[in-house]
Amino acid sequence: MTNLQADKTFERSGVSGKLKIVLHDVSGTLLRTLGTIERRGYDYRDVHCTQRVDGDFDLLVAIEDLGGPRNLDTLCKQLERLYNVVSAEKVGRRSRAEWA
Amino acid sequence: MTHPPKSGAQLLIDSLKEQGVEIIFGYPGGAIMPVYDVLPKSGLKHILGRHEQGCAMAAIGYARATGKTGTCLATSGPGATNLVTGIADAYLDSVPVVFITGQVPSDLMGTDAFQEVDIYGITLPVVKHSYIARDPADIPGMVEEAYYIASEGRPGPVLIDLPKDVANAVTTERHKWRSYPKVKPAMGSPEHIKICEEMIRSAKKPLFYIGGGIAQGDGVSELRDLVERTEIPVVSTLKGLGAMPSDHEHFLGMLGMHGLKAANFAVQEADLLIVAGARFDDRATGKLDTFAPHAKIIHMDIDIAEINKLRRADIWLEGSLKKNLAALNPGRSSADEWRALCYGRRAQYKWDYEAAQKNVKNGGVYAPKLLHDLTRRAPENAIITCDVGQHQMWTAQHCYFDDPKDHITSGGLGTMGFGVPAGLGAQLGCPDRTVITVSGDGSIMMNIQELATLNRYQIPLKIVLLDNGVLGMVRQWQEVFFDENYSEVDLYDNPDFAELARAFQIDAFTVTKRSEVDAGIDKLLAAKGPILMHVKISPNENVWPLVPPGRSNADMMER
Repeated sequence: MTNLQADKTFERSGVSGKLKIVLHDVSGTLLRTLGTIERRGYDYRDVHCTQRVDGDFDLLVAIEDLGGPRNLDTLCKQLERLYNVVSAEKVGRRSRAEWA
Repeated sequence: MTHPPKSGAQLLIDSLKEQGVEIIFGYPGGAIMPVYDVLPKSGLKHILGRHEQGCAMAAIGYARATGKTGTCLATSGPGATNLVTGIADAYLDSVPVVFITGQVPSDLMGTDAFQEVDIYGITLPVVKHSYIARDPADIPGMVEEAYYIASEGRPGPVLIDLPKDVANAVTTERHKWRSYPKVKPAMGSPEHIKICEEMIRSAKKPLFYIGGGIAQGDGVSELRDLVERTEIPVVSTLKGLGAMPSDHEHFLGMLGMHGLKAANFAVQEADLLIVAGARFDDRATGKLDTFAPHAKIIHMDIDIAEINKLRRADIWLEGSLKKNLAALNPGRSSADEWRALCYGRRAQYKWDYEAAQKNVKNGGVYAPKLLHDLTRRAPENAIITCDVGQHQMWTAQHCYFDDPKDHITSGGLGTMGFGVPAGLGAQLGCPDRTVITVSGDGSIMMNIQELATLNRYQIPLKIVLLDNGVLGMVRQWQEVFFDENYSEVDLYDNPDFAELARAFQIDAFTVTKRSEVDAGIDKLLAAKGPILMHVKISPNENVWPLVPPGRSNADMMER
């Protein structure tokens, strides 16, 4: 059995970056969004949330993957699938080395 | 503007009726009592399950059989947490169900009150959307949006948590609901459709890889039409079964871990995979980086988040599967050699039931043949629900399906205990059709209490219980992958299932020999009320082929 499990599931694939997510001001949206990021296999390095003049929120997160086949484009689509998330996009992607 | 004064509970019930709800599956308790107080005069049919998990799975079975949104009601605390497996099941299989839970009064929320749990927080990972009702005036808009979200796009479960004080509060207001419908493309662009057509025309080894999205996107007839126009072979996931009739000339069977050899070989050799409503699930792909290694990918899915998630697509078509399938018109594929190879393999690896049956000692029952015969003798539009384990895979491999809604199986979550409640929900949704549940002796015990529901409402569900006295799939893996180190799989102390069913006033009988199977199927199919056919089978019979976990689909093990 050991050899069957000898894949690279738990090795970090080195995906990291920064996302800008726009949220409607609806109860639970922030929790749902941050939870989705974690459950999809990313750790936070930085989180900022500010309210815009139109009442929506700008959520900026710096994240790093926990391993497995990840890509940030898919994560953005998974976030945009959530109700009350207006948009999610990558901004100023940085390499892992820059976080050190 | 003022409206007639109504309580939150009354507004909830009125809103459910406005959404066309006919049946609610539920179980009462303290925090949801205001709703149950209003329910008797509502005209809504309520089915009292005997456990909230059973209610949840009945609502799923109802939704999957009818195509409508299911509705399930439970109280706070343990009532709500008992729903969680059902909610997760609905999430992973994209089933539209609205779950409504009672909650402790608003002023007690967060105080660890009696029967208080944060069901909103607990279910966040497994709902499409969820709400806590804070004001009775919000309820009509909230319910309307909940039913819209549950069924639009890729369907899924929605939770409404209703605090008791909000259910009791009377209001003359109706708040305008602040809704943010998402604008999504209706279908792929004409340019992308042209590119897809050209890829299909030029492919030497094209193959359709279809999944549960075909049924959910109402694309069955469009798929069949496209397959017949192109004459391209088709493989299916577990949830896609029935989208092509099991005996269709271009259908190769199920792919994946327990897929048929002709299907898995075709995937491994294809130079173009046309993926429709499937998501490269690990049970279908095996080791992902060895899956379809030579194939370009055309991916069609209503959920854009599935595109490029696990396998990069060369081109994709967003939006309605039905519209995209109808729009594709590449003409007949010229891949005659490929077709001959695929269909030759299908004939070569065709199941030989008589030969396999001879391996079962002492005239014992060979479950795959029983299932094969059962669905070919049942009415054409019979619905099969099943539990999880070896019998689930035998059902997928050997039963005949002519419509994906005829096969109700827990594909994503793999929930033991799913079969009987899903079957009763399907039967209530489709009272004129034959509904058969295939279960195992491990699975059936997980929701055995729903036999009482069958009896209470005289729901004529037909249960085939394949009893090998072990947790068969776990035993098989321990045999094959853990050096026959059998650990906690022996169910030697099972009850007498026929006697147990009779204790619930369900007609039941036991079949132990191959020679008794035909008469047993006759009796089962002729029954007017609920019935259980208890079938003793060998614990040593395994499911083949089998792709070991983490290996390529090309590495199929056989008996």
